[in-house]
Amino acid sequence: MRLLLIEDDDILGEGLRDFLAADGHLVDWCQSLSAVDALRGEPFDALLVDWQLPDGSGLQWLKNQRRHGDSTPALILTARDRLHDRIEGLDSGADDYLVKPFAPEELTARLRAINRRRAGASGPRLSYGPVDLDLAAKAARLDGLRVELTAREWAVLEALALRSGRIVPKDDLERLVLGFESELSSNALEVHVSALRRKLGRELIETVRGLGYRIGESK
Amino acid sequence: MKRVPSIANRLAWTQLGVTLLWSLAVSMAVWLTVREEVGELLDDTLREAAHIMAPSFSGPVLPPPVAKTSERSDSYAWQVVAHAPGGGAAQVLAQSTMAPDAPFQQTPTAGFADCADWRVYGAALGQEGRMLYVAQLQKEQVEASLEASFNAALATLAVSLLAHLWLRARTVRELSPLTRLSDRLSQHDLLAPGATLGPAERAELAPVHSAIDALAEQLGRRMANERAFSAHAAHSLRTPLAGIDAQLAVALREAPPELQARLQRVRSATSRLQRVVAALLALFRSGVEVQRSVIDLPALLTRLPVDGLTVSTEPTHAVVGDVDLLSAALLNLLDNAVRHGATSLHITTPAPGVLRLQDNGPGVDEAQRLALQAAVAGASLETHTGLGLILASLVARAHGGHLNLPPAEHGFVVELQLMDVPHV
Repeated sequence: MRLLLIEDDDILGEGLRDFLAADGHLVDWCQSLSAVDALRGEPFDALLVDWQLPDGSGLQWLKNQRRHGDSTPALILTARDRLHDRIEGLDSGADDYLVKPFAPEELTARLRAINRRRAGASGPRLSYGPVDLDLAAKAARLDGLRVELTAREWAVLEALALRSGRIVPKDDLERLVLGFESELSSNALEVHVSALRRKLGRELIETVRGLGYRIGESK
Repeated sequence: MKRVPSIANRLAWTQLGVTLLWSLAVSMAVWLTVREEVGELLDDTLREAAHIMAPSFSGPVLPPPVAKTSERSDSYAWQVVAHAPGGGAAQVLAQSTMAPDAPFQQTPTAGFADCADWRVYGAALGQEGRMLYVAQLQKEQVEASLEASFNAALATLAVSLLAHLWLRARTVRELSPLTRLSDRLSQHDLLAPGATLGPAERAELAPVHSAIDALAEQLGRRMANERAFSAHAAHSLRTPLAGIDAQLAVALREAPPELQARLQRVRSATSRLQRVVAALLALFRSGVEVQRSVIDLPALLTRLPVDGLTVSTEPTHAVVGDVDLLSAALLNLLDNAVRHGATSLHITTPAPGVLRLQDNGPGVDEAQRLALQAAVAGASLETHTGLGLILASLVARAHGGHLNLPPAEHGFVVELQLMDVPHV
């Protein structure tokens, strides 16, 4: 998943960035809201937003995002543990609320839960005909047999699976999977899609000519 | 509950006392005045009667005595007495039927005099040594005075009692703004921003209103400061702790195997530190308010995992308390249990609002148990009880209860009493 982490604390921000990256996520870490402006228009799978930031309120920023139609799943990270804070946080458009201190393992579990809900799945498994995906284990099976995927291949598959049934523009998919590296490599995405079709079957990922890629809805 | 004096009752009793004293004083004054005036009036009557009668007895022939009839007053009498010159025996020459046989006076006495039961007025007749005495029974004068005084006292008492009843009703009415003020106070949210009691109903209550409004403002400022400090402290403590944990989680993934165990221990210690900090922050906040709700104990325990400890529960009574505070207390008690050698812990609710935790650790001997109980009862930090017990005790106190360490045959038992009941 490509994640936008907005956290001003050096130690926590760096720790989370490294932990999430090691977990296979692509993380853009900003320490202020003004830094986030530079990423305007970039697609993300989830937003991790600290409430109190040096140049404003992360919650207010999230409200503005929602007002402008951004429905990217968001998780508030904050030291505020009062009931009314939690209610305010969730009512402002956050999908989840995590009180500091928290274990990064819990953060990744909540991210998976948010995205499962987004993909319309009740459990961690998604099924597309003969292909089964386990989002928690980051594993793919074809006809019940485990298929080995590279981190990037899994990232492409996960990005499409989380948007099952919807066309994902090629540019968006590139930026979700490769981040800013997508500008450096013009055909990297096609390579990964091709590899996925070879390993999991040609029917799984559909090319919508001139628009992007689509994966069918999970059954 | 000790009964406190009532302003209305005290004022009523005071008014009643004043009323009775007033009635008594007025009656005394009336009695004294009436006695004096009635005495003078009756004396005037005697004197006038004597002066009217005197010419009739000035001649040499005396009129016959007046016949005694029932119509006539039996309280008046008269005598014509001849006093012998040189102090000889006086002789009654004529008298009314009600007069005594003996002369009123043995020596000629003009003017008023008291003689036995009679008030006597003497007037000299024309002949030498002859006197006319007109008399009235003294008890008549006393009766007249008493009757006037009694009637006056009765009237005064009636008026005073009416005045007392009116004053009492008036007092209750004048005190009713106090009752309404207490009602308003019971519904008044002192800490609501800009909340005031509003205008006072009586001038005397204006200072009370001002004092309460000033107190509310002071409390509001203090609360705002404490909340701001609490939020600041929470942010300053929680964020670095989260950062340390995240860094350790990364380090655990990257570190060579020989460092894994050491890093894991550091992470466990950090986790314990997080719990203590969370508990301290929750306790600090509880100084402001305890947010009570019905707690789902099994669900709460699933959110409080402690490595190396199996926790089971069998709640039979509802637990009502502040979920954050109770979480902090339980986390510290579970952590304590592990650090003191327990591998399992069972939680029951033997009574409403009571949580009983019993572990399978080695427990403590009786002397230690009593020392720990004394330490947590006094919240003394001088005895080394461990922060877990002190925190749990403070949580119980924040709920108006206490922490109890009952004797146990096996393991260590902690009872968290979340309601205010006497110590066992």
